[in-house]
Amino acid sequence: MSVMKKSRLLVLAVLALAASMVLVACGGDGGGGLSGSDNSDVTTATGGDPQGNLKISNWPLYIDNATIKEFDQAAGTSTTYTDDVNSNTDFFGKMQPLLSNGDSGGRDIIVVTDWMAEKMWKLGYVQKLDKSKIPNVEKNLIPSLQNPAFDPNREYSVPWQSGMTGLVVRTDLAPDIKSINDLFDPKYKGKVTLLDEMRDTIPLMMAADGINPEEATDEQWMDTIAKMKENVGNGQVRKVTGNDYIQDLENGNVVAAIGWSGDTTQTSNPNIKYVQPEQGCSIWSDNMMIPVGAPNPAAAYKFMNYVYDPENQAQITEYVNYVSPVAGVKEVLAKKDPALANDNLIFPSEEFTKNCFAQVSPPGDEQQVQEVEQAFENAKIG
Amino acid sequence: MTTLRQRMTPYWLLAPGLIWLFIFFVVPMYYMGELSLKTGTLTTGYEMTWAFSNYADAITDYSTQFLRAFYFAGVATILCLLIGYPLAYAIAFKSGRWKNLMLFGVVAPFFTTYLIRTISWKTILSDSSPVVSVLEFLQLAPDGRVLATNAAVIAGLTYNFLPFMVLPLFASLERLDRRLLEAGQDLYASARQTFLRVTLPLTMPGIIAGILLTFIPAAGDYVNATFLGGPDQAMIGNVIQSKYLVVNDYSEAAALSFTLMAIILVGLLFYIKFAGTEALMGDEEEAK
Repeated sequence: MSVMKKSRLLVLAVLALAASMVLVACGGDGGGGLSGSDNSDVTTATGGDPQGNLKISNWPLYIDNATIKEFDQAAGTSTTYTDDVNSNTDFFGKMQPLLSNGDSGGRDIIVVTDWMAEKMWKLGYVQKLDKSKIPNVEKNLIPSLQNPAFDPNREYSVPWQSGMTGLVVRTDLAPDIKSINDLFDPKYKGKVTLLDEMRDTIPLMMAADGINPEEATDEQWMDTIAKMKENVGNGQVRKVTGNDYIQDLENGNVVAAIGWSGDTTQTSNPNIKYVQPEQGCSIWSDNMMIPVGAPNPAAAYKFMNYVYDPENQAQITEYVNYVSPVAGVKEVLAKKDPALANDNLIFPSEEFTKNCFAQVSPPGDEQQVQEVEQAFENAKIG
Repeated sequence: MTTLRQRMTPYWLLAPGLIWLFIFFVVPMYYMGELSLKTGTLTTGYEMTWAFSNYADAITDYSTQFLRAFYFAGVATILCLLIGYPLAYAIAFKSGRWKNLMLFGVVAPFFTTYLIRTISWKTILSDSSPVVSVLEFLQLAPDGRVLATNAAVIAGLTYNFLPFMVLPLFASLERLDRRLLEAGQDLYASARQTFLRVTLPLTMPGIIAGILLTFIPAAGDYVNATFLGGPDQAMIGNVIQSKYLVVNDYSEAAALSFTLMAIILVGLLFYIKFAGTEALMGDEEEAK
């Protein structure tokens, strides 16, 4: 081989390496400088006169089009509202390198589900709230959400919306699905989906098998994950999905799914209905929090206070159709839209949720939880 | 006699590229390599333990997804070649004044984002769509569905990476000296012989470039498997994505990425050895 050819081969190898770099590009910045932290030196977010820019990260389809504009007018702020939270774990993975350095990427409010709120608090990624700045929250937060296990005095989290995880069914195609275990009926093979958030799917499956999810052992989590893996592996479960399960239901690819209560009202197909599983549902909240390094906590407080006014909240509820955490909304809506005020999915009666439980995480320390999460991830790919 | 200045010129020209490669390739690679040998969790921090077991775990736990990724990418690459070569040939030789328009047609899908293009296939191939009904009638969709099957993912990969195959093929066909084809005819070679003994060997560099540009990104792709596949279509890219973003097990994710890179690199070296650098550099090399 001539010298010329050798050097060309080298150039080629470097090029090939560069090309394969595309493969490892995802997440490559997580490499350096990872460090642990805790919440021993937690700060309280301070407020002042709210003005300037407010940056909020929330989930998709979680606010109507008018509220932000009206808030900006009332408060004299300019709000950047981004729906960049698509999954708790994804969002955590993206934010963690920033938050561990005390930087929120300019965000003043982030919205995540209960268990992730707790995880972030324990890591010292969020600030304590000064309740004197949010009188409406003190006054109007519904009693059932005032003392959750993960934040008994609501020191750092304020519920945005709540909801139920249960069954979402095409009642015209699968009228007989009433329990989670009906999803594993062979006649619906390849026509059902599960949610890719472990804390949504597994506790419901455990409840269906008579296990109390709140007291479930590590072993019971693993056994239930094994059951899921079996049903994914043999093709009974078509997919393990995120938000996109609703499209599969709309075009009939799927006849029943584990899904979220508010989603059904956002489809145009009247046959897509939320069905409360016989053995109960799981109840969760997504919570507003002020992350460390938030540049404008004053405006964040102002916003929290604003959406806890029943009139303002009613406007959000009317669009979002999840369970509202704000007392007084039902009365406001009763005048505007009585059908919504009587909807069990928005204002669930005690009867409707009698078997439901608060969303749970696996027991044990972080290492054990990660093992369960890994088992779940492996079950997802059959 | 050359001055120092003249001798340094090539290095100055290389410098921007080398600096770029160093900052955005060598440095991240170093951190990834280091991370892949650590143990720990995101919240407690990572410690260097020279955990080569990360690599052993990566290979034993996910060999299925590795093999599947290479299988899907391989089939998609072959399909791209079979579809792309005639297309590039037609554009280069037969399109006349439509040439630019046809080339534009090849590139046009890129004006829409990759993600949207893939998701629209979900609608096209949904269970109740006309496409699937026809396939079902022809007994080509046994379960009454195309989504969540190998065929859907391979079709998606083929569709998404086709331009990467067509463009280098077109470039090498375009460059082909037409007089050589005339010479072939003058020497009584049939059209088929001319193609096999003149056109094909001379466009080998384009074919090889096209195969590399298609196969390498396709093997690491996870978008097609996410949207068009089901649980049994998970490729290694999906595993890496979930390790990074869902489980936050960065060490093993880094180990998986490195393993994938190593396999592709070794495969590539064999491929080049087999295909020969002459074929890769084409007539240019032979001219020397």
